[in-house]
Amino acid sequence: MNAPTPALVAPRPERLRLVGQRRQLLALMHQRLMFGMLVYAGVIALIALRILYLAAFGDHAGRKVGLTTLIPDRGDIVDRDGEPLARTIDAWIIALHPTKVIGSKLELARNLARLMPEKSEEQYYALLTSGKPFFYLRRRAAPALVEAVNALGEPGLAVQREPDRLYPQTSLGAHVIGYTDIDGHGVAGMERAFDGYLSDAATRGDPLILSIDSRLQQALEHELLDAMTTFSALGAAGIVMDIHTGEVLAMTSLPQLNPNAAGQGSQEARFNRATLGVYELGSTFKPFTVAMAMDSGIIKSFGQIYNCPDALRAYGHTITDTHPFGRPCTVAEIMKESSNIGTAQIAAQVGAQRQQYFLGKMGFLGPVKIELKERARALTPGNNWGPLEVMTVGYGHGIAVTPLHLATGYATLFNGGIYRPATLLKVDRRHPPAKGVRVFTEDTSYRMRALLRLVVTQGTGKKADAPGYRVGGKTGTAEKLLNGHYTSSAVVTTFAGVFPMDEPRYVVVAMLDDPKATADTYGFHTAGWNVAPVISRTVSRIAPMLGVHPNKTREPNMAEVLPFVHEKAEH
Amino acid sequence: MSARSFRSVFMVASCAGAALGCYLVSLRVASERASLEDVETKIVLAQRDLRVLQTEIGTRGRLAQLERWNVKVLALSAPSADQLLGGSFELARLARPERKVEFDAPVVLAAAPAPGASAPIGEPAADDTGKVPASNPRALFHEASLKISGTREVPAKPAAVPPASGLKSTDAPAAAAKPDKKKSVDKPGLAAAKPVTKEVRMAKVDPLAPLQAKPATPTVKKTPKDSAKTQ
Repeated sequence: MNAPTPALVAPRPERLRLVGQRRQLLALMHQRLMFGMLVYAGVIALIALRILYLAAFGDHAGRKVGLTTLIPDRGDIVDRDGEPLARTIDAWIIALHPTKVIGSKLELARNLARLMPEKSEEQYYALLTSGKPFFYLRRRAAPALVEAVNALGEPGLAVQREPDRLYPQTSLGAHVIGYTDIDGHGVAGMERAFDGYLSDAATRGDPLILSIDSRLQQALEHELLDAMTTFSALGAAGIVMDIHTGEVLAMTSLPQLNPNAAGQGSQEARFNRATLGVYELGSTFKPFTVAMAMDSGIIKSFGQIYNCPDALRAYGHTITDTHPFGRPCTVAEIMKESSNIGTAQIAAQVGAQRQQYFLGKMGFLGPVKIELKERARALTPGNNWGPLEVMTVGYGHGIAVTPLHLATGYATLFNGGIYRPATLLKVDRRHPPAKGVRVFTEDTSYRMRALLRLVVTQGTGKKADAPGYRVGGKTGTAEKLLNGHYTSSAVVTTFAGVFPMDEPRYVVVAMLDDPKATADTYGFHTAGWNVAPVISRTVSRIAPMLGVHPNKTREPNMAEVLPFVHEKAEH
Repeated sequence: MSARSFRSVFMVASCAGAALGCYLVSLRVASERASLEDVETKIVLAQRDLRVLQTEIGTRGRLAQLERWNVKVLALSAPSADQLLGGSFELARLARPERKVEFDAPVVLAAAPAPGASAPIGEPAADDTGKVPASNPRALFHEASLKISGTREVPAKPAAVPPASGLKSTDAPAAAAKPDKKKSVDKPGLAAAKPVTKEVRMAKVDPLAPLQAKPATPTVKKTPKDSAKTQ
């Protein structure tokens, strides 16, 4: 009954409590609301800022990822004038995915055989039904063929572009440039030696500049190939080199090789005779022997007399000459007529120790120095370097070197006596010439000019003369070693020439491997008949390009040798 | 309602306007940059095309191919030493006329013809047609030479008397016609006259005489032998 009393009193604090709670709740809600608003505002502000940032600094929708520089997949190789020798281009390839073929396989095989007749219809059908996922049908396809294949509309046929190495000059300088494998890595020549430089993204933008001059290279290759064909030689090698810097301006090895299809070339064609082939280069060594003797003080004048009998017995062997004197003769005559007997006696005076010293300094006892990886080491008598070997090495037998060794040696002999390794990179500010090592004295180098000019004006190398260009040099005919015996039926003929002889600048070496005699050479197969004319023709072609001015009145100081030549050559 | 009450509105509007202006500027910059990049990309693509074309031209015109054409068609060869000159002086030297001592050249006296001396004094100056050029220096010449030999100018050896430089028998001047006639007509007499006139050799043709359009003596008949000799 009186129960409500407390109830009348009680609600007040209850209500008050409720009001306090509501206010708290409201404040909490306000807080939450504010927080949510702030979050929204923050997100919106973030988005707005981002939009503004993008508007100011960002990409726009139409923006393409542009090419800003042209960096090929593999660096170019160019010659010294910037003419491209090797380039990477995008070539079309045609590939086949047999599993994706949806049309009639027989029909497709028929069409493919019609378009690419290198395989028959049956072979294409066999490929299509083989179940394998991928085949290359053609690499470096012509655009017309690509169009025709595309027109077949078969999803199993893939036509795409792929970087491919192209050698625009085809076989020109193939052994110097080398070639790449199917993955684009160099496997020969400069492609191999500079594989890292050519494929590195940081360096491949700049081309690799070779010291080769493609015009010179073409002239040398053409003349050598001509001689090789005329004399049915097995092979040939040729080098043109700057004697002061050691730059190789042209280097060739025949038979020719097309680096665009290097795999199709024979083993013989891929072999670089100029740096990898070693040959006994015969009488071309004689100037070295004479220079050694001059530097050692043995020969003081080209008039010095040696006894030159018809045959010389030495240590159980007989040394003979092709043009025997049968009388005492001077050093000038020995060189002019290329006398083995006379040179053997000079070499004997020089002795093994000095001979090895000089040959070693010229780099003749080790592998030839050049950037290429295809390098051969000279074959020498080694530990058997006895007195007989000294004599035979003196006239170029019993020691086998590469033609590049010989060119380097002649450069050393005529540039003032300083040895510099050969290089295939253009010598300029970025690539200074190698440091030289003195081998012969300057005086010896100077006096040798007249001696080698005499060989060309009056001696065995008459056919090497290019009128006006003052060619000097030495012929060399070495018998080949067949089945352990030297035979006169197979020879290696060489000519090492230097021009212009009054102020030597370039050395030219040409070599023919096993040339045959022809009617034009009257049955001879010696160097004076087959390889010397190559030098004459090559020098006539290349000297104007090299800026050598022809002059029929200039000669080296022939007073050094002419007084000591007693009779005219009879041939 | 005053401007003061709209101040905030103006502020907002000007801020919005400034922001819009900035945005437009940046938009403009971005689009310019994009178009520049487009151009750069085009340049690179053009360079790539150039490279491809250069490679193709280089491959088609490779040195081995040029050499092959040269061997088959052009047959050009390296210049010989004499064909290369050192400079303009050597070139000028080539054009210099070659100096030859002409033993049969006429003796021209250093005297001018007298004004009234147009008529020849000597008999042979008047040729068959009787026409003598007024200013013919031959008049003097004949006067001088005739007095030396009594046998007129009968040549001892017609073959040994070449025509003076540049005058062929076909376009010889009038004065040149006479000796030809003599040659063909007086042949039998030549052998007899030989020893007499051996040491005195005279030119039959005066190189200084002006050229005439046609021979003044059409009646002169040349034998093939004569024309062969005078070639």
